[in-house]
Amino acid sequence: MPDLESHSVITVSNLTKYYGKFEALDSVSFNIDKGWVYGYLGPNGAGKTTTIRIMLGLLKPSQGEVQISGVNPTKDPVHALQFVGYAPELPTLQTFFTGEQLLDFMGKMFGLPTQARSEKIKQLLDFVGLKEWGRKKIGNYSKGMVQRLSVALALINDPIVLIMDEPTIGMDPEATAHFRNLFMNLSKEGKTIFISSHLLDEVQRICTHVGMINRGKIVFTGPIDQVLEAFTQRWIVEAELRDVTENIVSSLKELELVEDVKVEGNKLMIELKEKIDLRGEISSEIFKQKGVLLSLNLHKITLEDAYLRALKGGQ
Amino acid sequence: MDALGRVAVIIGYEWRRALAKKKILALIILAVAFQTLVMVVLSQFATRTMFLPSGVMPFMWIFGVLQGQSLFVPLIAIITAGSSMSEEYEHGTADILLSKPITKVEYMFGKFFGGFSLLAVVELCTTFVGAILAVWFFGPQTGLQYVPLMFLAIVYSSLIFFCMSFMFSEVFRRSTIATMSAFAILFASSIISQYLASLYMMTRDYLYFHLSRGIPTWGATYFPSLLMRELMAMPSSFFIVGDPLISFEVARGASEAIYVRDALLQAVMTVAVYAIIFILIAVYRLLKSDVTKKTA
Repeated sequence: MPDLESHSVITVSNLTKYYGKFEALDSVSFNIDKGWVYGYLGPNGAGKTTTIRIMLGLLKPSQGEVQISGVNPTKDPVHALQFVGYAPELPTLQTFFTGEQLLDFMGKMFGLPTQARSEKIKQLLDFVGLKEWGRKKIGNYSKGMVQRLSVALALINDPIVLIMDEPTIGMDPEATAHFRNLFMNLSKEGKTIFISSHLLDEVQRICTHVGMINRGKIVFTGPIDQVLEAFTQRWIVEAELRDVTENIVSSLKELELVEDVKVEGNKLMIELKEKIDLRGEISSEIFKQKGVLLSLNLHKITLEDAYLRALKGGQ
Repeated sequence: MDALGRVAVIIGYEWRRALAKKKILALIILAVAFQTLVMVVLSQFATRTMFLPSGVMPFMWIFGVLQGQSLFVPLIAIITAGSSMSEEYEHGTADILLSKPITKVEYMFGKFFGGFSLLAVVELCTTFVGAILAVWFFGPQTGLQYVPLMFLAIVYSSLIFFCMSFMFSEVFRRSTIATMSAFAILFASSIISQYLASLYMMTRDYLYFHLSRGIPTWGATYFPSLLMRELMAMPSSFFIVGDPLISFEVARGASEAIYVRDALLQAVMTVAVYAIIFILIAVYRLLKSDVTKKTA
């Protein structure tokens, strides 16, 4: 039976998965506690979906194991997944059902009584903005509507753990904001949320913790402020010039505290070796090279920068 | 919810899935229409040409029932079972279903019993339509009390091709390949069985006799008619019903009763052995492999 009082909700230990000779996951380990919103980041093919599918008992790990509330979903899916909600990436739902019928069927799979199902279905359809579409066949839904319904399906059993694979992909900005708020509210209710996403800005806004995976290996796992701190060894100065010349670029590269200079149109992205404000020196150097400076900004690190650095470090 | 409850939920799901397919509904309608057409044609032909001996008329319900299930029911069985597991992989819905609190075995048995119970309902329909048409066109019938037993025999005999197609559906995880493979075996074994029977009649080598009975179509085709032969004294002129090898052996002086009883037992065993082997292979494949991602 799942230990619902346990502090640790998801434990992934030394997870390794081979597809033939290809190693999709290499000793992946992380721990997710109750109430965390855990963002799982990684490029395409990094192993995110493989991790999720093992967490749901759809794949067997080659080594290691996953425990959800103390139960291994591969060995005992009935107990491990009873309080888990899952929304897959761009799901293909059963098009012969209407939205209401599919929610009702999923409610039955969780053993919900008829009355409870009926109330929950109304509430969820309203919640995801599909109230008017509940009695229409899913085959007539747009991609965004299918995605919304998928989130409703994930919530039908009032889960304590929500596993979402790119939950807002295909949604318009308004719906994305709506679902972001929904996830935040669910988190406040004490639900544990695991989100695999490419939308780093979104992850930064709603996640309390992140895990970064690259080529099957975890390159970072921890609180989101820690990841920013861990990868903020350098700052970046963004200089907008009227014209970028080779002389300006090479002279900036020669500055002692400059790590690298990248040209993006008429902008220079000057990566610094340390967390120092070098704007004074940079502007003097540009003037020295007869450049016309339009703007000069200092960027501290974003999750995207940290993510890219983490991936670079992991390679 | 207990295991039976979870299996029942999947059975209900499987019914909806199968009935949502227009080709299955079309085949059910075609089966009944074809059955009716044959009985109409035969009744007109028989009354005008005296083609059917009068002694056969009271047993026409057996023909009515068997001819209905001989062509369309195997097709419905193969199509229903052939997409049962594979379509969920192809559409990516297996992920959604198997990420719920249900074991793989419960899921598979739900799918199996869902599809098979639907097939049984189709067979129930064709059985009763066949019997009613026989009474309608050929007058009072003998042995109508055996109609329910005939229905059960038909359901049992259809296990072979249903299980085979179901196994292919799980093994290949592609509906088209699964369905085509089952069709190929249905037609090939039907031809091979006849060929082996002919070889036996020519050479009288019992190896061909036993081989012809080991072919899947033999048990599936002859079990219901063998049961009716065992239960009722039917005229030997009732050419439609029965294994030709029995007639051949009887003509050589063997006891029909003993042959029918042996063949009946062998048919029961053949169906059971094939069905169990096919299901075990499907269960093994499901338990030992990962859930395939969306393939279509």
